[in-house]
Amino acid sequence: MRRLVRLELFQWYGLLGAAIAWTVQLVLGYGVTVARCSTGGDFGLAVDTWEVVLIVVAGAFALLGEAAAIAVFLATRTLEHDDPPPDGRRHFFASAAVVGNVLFLMIILLSGVGILANSPCHQS
Amino acid sequence: MAVDVVAPSLERRIERLDRIWRERPGLLGWLTTVDHKRIGLLYFFTTLAFFAAGGIEALLIRTQLAGPNERVLGPETYNQLMTMHGVTMIFLFVIPMTTGAFGNYLVPLMIGARDMAFPRLNALSYWLFLGSGIFIYLGLFMHRGPNCGWFCYTPLNTRTYDPGPNVDFYALGLIFNGLATTAGALNFIVTIFKLRAPGMSLNRMPLFIFAMLAVSLSLIFALPSLTMDLVFLELQRKAGFHFFDVAHGGDPLLWQHLFWLFGHPEVYIIVLPAFGIATSIIPTFTQRKMIAFPLVALAELLVAFIGFGVWAHHMFATGLPTITLIAFAAASMMVVIPSTIQVFAWTFTVVLGRPEFRAPLLFIGGFIVFFVIGGLSGIMFAAIPFNQVTTDTYFVVAHFHFIIFGAAVFPILGGMYYWFPKVTGRLYHERAAQLSFWLTFLGTALTFFPMHIVGLLGMTRRVYAYSPHLGWDAYNLSETIGAFILTAGLLLIFGNLLWSRFRGTLSGPDPFFGGTLEWATSSPPPEYNFPVVPKVTSPYPNWDRADREEDARRLVAGTFVLDEGHETPASTVRDGYLDEVLSMPPESPWPVVVALCVALLFTSLLLSHVVVACVFGGLALLALAAWHTREPEES
Amino acid sequence: MSAEAARLDRGRIARPNGWWGIAVFVATEATLFGTIIGSYFFLRFQVPQWPPAGVPDPKVLVPLVLTAALVATSIPVQIAYSAARRDRLGVARLALLLALVVQAGYLGIQIRLFIGDLDKFSPNQSAYASIYFTLLGGHHFHVLIGILLEAWLLLRLITGLTRYRLVALQATVFYWHFVNLLAVAVVLTQVSPAL
Repeated sequence: MRRLVRLELFQWYGLLGAAIAWTVQLVLGYGVTVARCSTGGDFGLAVDTWEVVLIVVAGAFALLGEAAAIAVFLATRTLEHDDPPPDGRRHFFASAAVVGNVLFLMIILLSGVGILANSPCHQS
Repeated sequence: MAVDVVAPSLERRIERLDRIWRERPGLLGWLTTVDHKRIGLLYFFTTLAFFAAGGIEALLIRTQLAGPNERVLGPETYNQLMTMHGVTMIFLFVIPMTTGAFGNYLVPLMIGARDMAFPRLNALSYWLFLGSGIFIYLGLFMHRGPNCGWFCYTPLNTRTYDPGPNVDFYALGLIFNGLATTAGALNFIVTIFKLRAPGMSLNRMPLFIFAMLAVSLSLIFALPSLTMDLVFLELQRKAGFHFFDVAHGGDPLLWQHLFWLFGHPEVYIIVLPAFGIATSIIPTFTQRKMIAFPLVALAELLVAFIGFGVWAHHMFATGLPTITLIAFAAASMMVVIPSTIQVFAWTFTVVLGRPEFRAPLLFIGGFIVFFVIGGLSGIMFAAIPFNQVTTDTYFVVAHFHFIIFGAAVFPILGGMYYWFPKVTGRLYHERAAQLSFWLTFLGTALTFFPMHIVGLLGMTRRVYAYSPHLGWDAYNLSETIGAFILTAGLLLIFGNLLWSRFRGTLSGPDPFFGGTLEWATSSPPPEYNFPVVPKVTSPYPNWDRADREEDARRLVAGTFVLDEGHETPASTVRDGYLDEVLSMPPESPWPVVVALCVALLFTSLLLSHVVVACVFGGLALLALAAWHTREPEES
Repeated sequence: MSAEAARLDRGRIARPNGWWGIAVFVATEATLFGTIIGSYFFLRFQVPQWPPAGVPDPKVLVPLVLTAALVATSIPVQIAYSAARRDRLGVARLALLLALVVQAGYLGIQIRLFIGDLDKFSPNQSAYASIYFTLLGGHHFHVLIGILLEAWLLLRLITGLTRYRLVALQATVFYWHFVNLLAVAVVLTQVSPAL
């Protein structure tokens, strides 16, 4: 029973973890930029530091999501995507999540490219 | 299995199902219907009427723009027609057609259910939609129609610059419309989660259902942003609030952020059901299961999800900080990847299958061509400098028409041909259908391709006239000619369908050997969809002959016929185990009553009679209470 | 009902449709308030002084105490559902009534404070006031709807409990937990300038 519960949790985390990590990175990152760069004062925010922290944390959660998805995929690798649930369903979601997590990881990393090139609040 | 020839002992069961599920005849039956197929047809014909209206608006625009300095339409009329064209096509045609018509008709059938989870809410969503469409068009008929462009930026939308009721028709009308769409989306989510036939676990859902789930989740999370934007706008216009004006501490960019937080997911909402239709047609006309099924299914959900994080690419020219632009550019580049996965999957399925290029598959072929071109121009907008130069030019107009017309409407047209036999029991005329495809394809290409060029030559959006000698004349003229060719193609499509409705050869239940459950019942389906709850063990249940033979055995034995009431099974969400048997409501007058009260509420708000509006709101609540006094039968 | 329906009637595994319906509805409303609160802070960052000159800082203690009282009604509301599940209808009705009284009292006081605030500063004068009154007005409206739902439910429960009404109670309880959580977010936003 415990193995199955773990497999279930891994499947959902593998499917949703990276997505939620990117969402949090986007919302907080954009919020920090708005707070720092709008005309209402800068609140002493160091945008670059925040961006780096958010990328590292979100990236870590996304990597863990990928690991979880791979774990479930390997545990169910003998199955087809339309095999009976619950394991067939877990294999289905894990197969898809293995690819999806790479995408989210790429978005999380690429959104930080701006720190390399520009000073905060620089407009173009 | 189709119930064409049955043993006498079965006849009684079928008769009982017929008697239980039959609705009142005549107009009263249509007003009180809760049958998802009837509601789907109501949506279908209403959205077609709005499609015609939007099309006429487009032809008027193209006539005005056929040559430089034309005087067919004055600027005020042009602004209204141009705004209404956008509003009509997006809110009153594409979305209600794909979700309300195709979604309502097909989702219960494809999941093996007898109706949607909330049949009366379904009816309410239709009547609210109809009310919102009439409401907005009332403005146009009074020559006070919305005139600020479909995204109606501030400060042009304020009372200072647009003092009449035009923008109020826009704002209140779209909030009204949003209620309808939200109700529908909620219904789809609960239906898809709970009402799947036993055995249809999440990994055995057809791809069309994944698309409808993605669309519905998207609508739920995107519409509130638009609603609040419009509420802020109306509070500013009617009650003197300050959200968007700098002088009192507001910010015009707030309008844009909230709008595009809705607006970008909206464009994926427009195109996702089209993906669903494509992924239904391709397996049928290639007789092959979709390649990389789990990836395609997830891609539909991924596009919807990532689409929420790219909205600022509509605002690259507004002075946002560069790091913000780069973050959104990154996400905008990545969002194309799930769509690319799908394009490869579709193409390889066709190449590796045995394609039969009948009309539905032709339209999907056209869809893939236009989607790739539109997608390429779209990805170009992720490049910030390019975006800043081409924003608000005809290059943008070209891009989104390739996507909306090429990638959303083509599958709708293909889907109309594909499911025509299921809905009417007759086949469309194949040769005429293929001709209609080529006309429409040619017309679309001729109308929208030159817009790329004329946009790069500097022609801006929304201009009601342009000067000669700018090098734009020939392109505009071709676009206008293309628009009329396109119209001819569309008229041929609808003429074909109309003629075939009465004179087409009988199709039988499954003329194309489709893989999903709607083809497992008669054409048209009986009110109760399936005489026996279907047994499901894969996403292509109609290709599982063993399961369909099991259905026939169950029908004879009388198991899972569920003929003691308006019954349909409910399953567990993840794995589709049979959980309970639901008792569904019969016809009800309350949805149309609630919709009427809501329409009167919005009309009162338009006229700034807040107290009267509250009265109608109270009446709507009372009608909702009356609605809920009818409870399902208990044991 | 048919044989299969009778066989399954002892109890369902999955959550009922009504629960999923209210869950999706709560998701929409939560997003709605997410955009209002997001707009509050977006506007806040556009100006150096918030609230603007001439507008008093929001009170902190009274709103927090009121919110605590409202959030506390999640307890009787949950008790009502648990009791109804065990067929203890009398307890359920009493718990609902208690919650209703407290919530109605909360709303009454909040409306008085709302009107009092309107006398002190007007949404016609500043974006701060505009978003302040919109946020609070929207929240109070949701409280009102919750009260109406409870009142309707109490009326229906006079004639006894059915499976349908039990699902309705479950949905209403879910809605109230959402409104109470929302109240915390709203009050924290409301008092944020004074923190």
